[in-house]
Amino acid sequence: MTAFFYETYYLGVRTTRRFLRVPANWMPILFFPLIQLLIFSQLYQDIVQLPGFGEQSSYLAYLAPGQVAFTAFMAVAWSAYGMLVEYRTGYLDKLRASPIGRWSILAGEMVPLFFQAAAMAGILLIVSLLLGASIATGVGGFLLILVLSGAFGIAFAGTSFIPALLSKSEQATSTFSLLFFPVVFMSTAFVPEALMPGWIRVVNQWNPITYLIEAMRALMVTGYDWGAIGAALLSLAILGVILQSATLWAFHRLAN
Amino acid sequence: MNQTAVYTSTEKPAVNSHSEPAIQTAGLVKVYGGETRALDGITFEVAPGELFGLLGPNGAGKTTTIRILATLLRATAGTARVAGFDVAARPSEVRKRLGLAMQTPTLDAFSTGRETLELAGRLHRMPPAEVRRRADELLELMGLASVDKKLTGTYSGGMKRRLDLAAALVHRPEVLILDEPTEGLDPQSRTALWEELERISKAGTTMLLTTHYMEEADRLCSRLAIIDNGQIVVEGAPGELKRSVGADTVVIQLEGIDGNLDRQRSQVRELLGGMVDADAVTPHPTGVALAVPNASAAIPGLLRQLDGNGLNIVGLQMSQPSLDDVFMKYTGRHIREEAADQPIIMGW
Repeated sequence: MTAFFYETYYLGVRTTRRFLRVPANWMPILFFPLIQLLIFSQLYQDIVQLPGFGEQSSYLAYLAPGQVAFTAFMAVAWSAYGMLVEYRTGYLDKLRASPIGRWSILAGEMVPLFFQAAAMAGILLIVSLLLGASIATGVGGFLLILVLSGAFGIAFAGTSFIPALLSKSEQATSTFSLLFFPVVFMSTAFVPEALMPGWIRVVNQWNPITYLIEAMRALMVTGYDWGAIGAALLSLAILGVILQSATLWAFHRLAN
Repeated sequence: MNQTAVYTSTEKPAVNSHSEPAIQTAGLVKVYGGETRALDGITFEVAPGELFGLLGPNGAGKTTTIRILATLLRATAGTARVAGFDVAARPSEVRKRLGLAMQTPTLDAFSTGRETLELAGRLHRMPPAEVRRRADELLELMGLASVDKKLTGTYSGGMKRRLDLAAALVHRPEVLILDEPTEGLDPQSRTALWEELERISKAGTTMLLTTHYMEEADRLCSRLAIIDNGQIVVEGAPGELKRSVGADTVVIQLEGIDGNLDRQRSQVRELLGGMVDADAVTPHPTGVALAVPNASAAIPGLLRQLDGNGLNIVGLQMSQPSLDDVFMKYTGRHIREEAADQPIIMGW
């Protein structure tokens, strides 16, 4: 077990370096949600007058938690790309021929995603606060939002790792990631459930991103709503177990 | 998890005392996708400290053999042992004692040279101070000290090669396996790398390298096996293999009267009648060609015999059989006629 943590630490430092040293890795992750936050909060500012929004008076305040969650989504949507490139160049083989555990190699990719997703979401959260959003729960809520973002990062990373490990194609993997954008659009990121047509409402109820957003929104707008936070953690746990199991299987298949 | 520290900080790598082979394979077979027979019964042994080469064209099975030895690929049949451990049964023991450099340098483009070496040392459980000391030493040795803080993605081909080799050496491996170590290098970098490999070999590290450059095999390897179509066709020291092809060739260049060499040719044949077999003397466009074992020792005697008999000898050429001739003899082809590439293994 000590060996696993030791190896994961040193391999994780490397993958984090790989992520940070290419600004084009993290710039779009921040810019896309930021642009949505800036444009949509202006473009649809009057939307909050619709009855479904309840007492919400600022669309920016409504939009902010959704864009924080969207940032965590962006942070891991292409997360398997680096490993795929290293599979192709042979670097992954070199790691496999080193005296380290197979799972340390995967953990060295996965664990940093917690911190990347949390850090990226944190930056977007700070920008939202500067633009006028607020956090009802203060510093405690801020930190909890980071933890939720990081947990989502690990739980959701499988959507990139599974196609990457199975197809071994960079192109297929990046195209596949695009399929998950509608999942975000069919959540409560942009409009409350009350305004959704029936069938999207059904999708929404099964959408883990919605539970994540609702927990963040509660922390920002109302307070420590442990029902919403618990629902988010549970949905992330279910999503994580399913996707990570499949990822472990696909990695095992590739590495052996 | 087994955490036995194998790493030792002595200058010479630990070689097992009872001189068990450092690398040993027996009847290795690898069949890809149920049909492509990449290896068809590869058996060879490498003694501790030896520099052994696998020479063969692309697609002969060299890389497949290397990948099995490096615990990256399972053999369909047969066994392989590296540093005394079975690669299939005890892969982690093999990995601790193995240094590996693959056909193209495999580096993380976004790590610096120093970070690359330090990570390799860390993963081999070297103590932190020793990792730094060893990284300094290798960067200096490989001429990379001035670029140690630059990303490896910015390195030239030769620099990448040297760093890749350094990364394989950080933990002072018992066995160093190199797949086509000088592929794609310019002649100058190649010669420099050869010198480096010779130095490492002299320090006692067992080395297995694959190559399709005969010059490389000839210069570096104390022993080599020629591999073709997944089989070892012949094995031995380079000189021994070349002698097995046949005698050296000596061409005696003659100047005939009015361009007619025939009289002089028959004169040579007569004069040498007692020294060489009649069928060893054949006409050559510029004179006669003699097939002589160990030509450099025979030439003085031959010249004494021919001297002062009215012959007009204008030149002398001597050539030894090359490894290409060896390859030709055993496979009927030149090594340069490259066979098909490895099959590409697709996902899904």
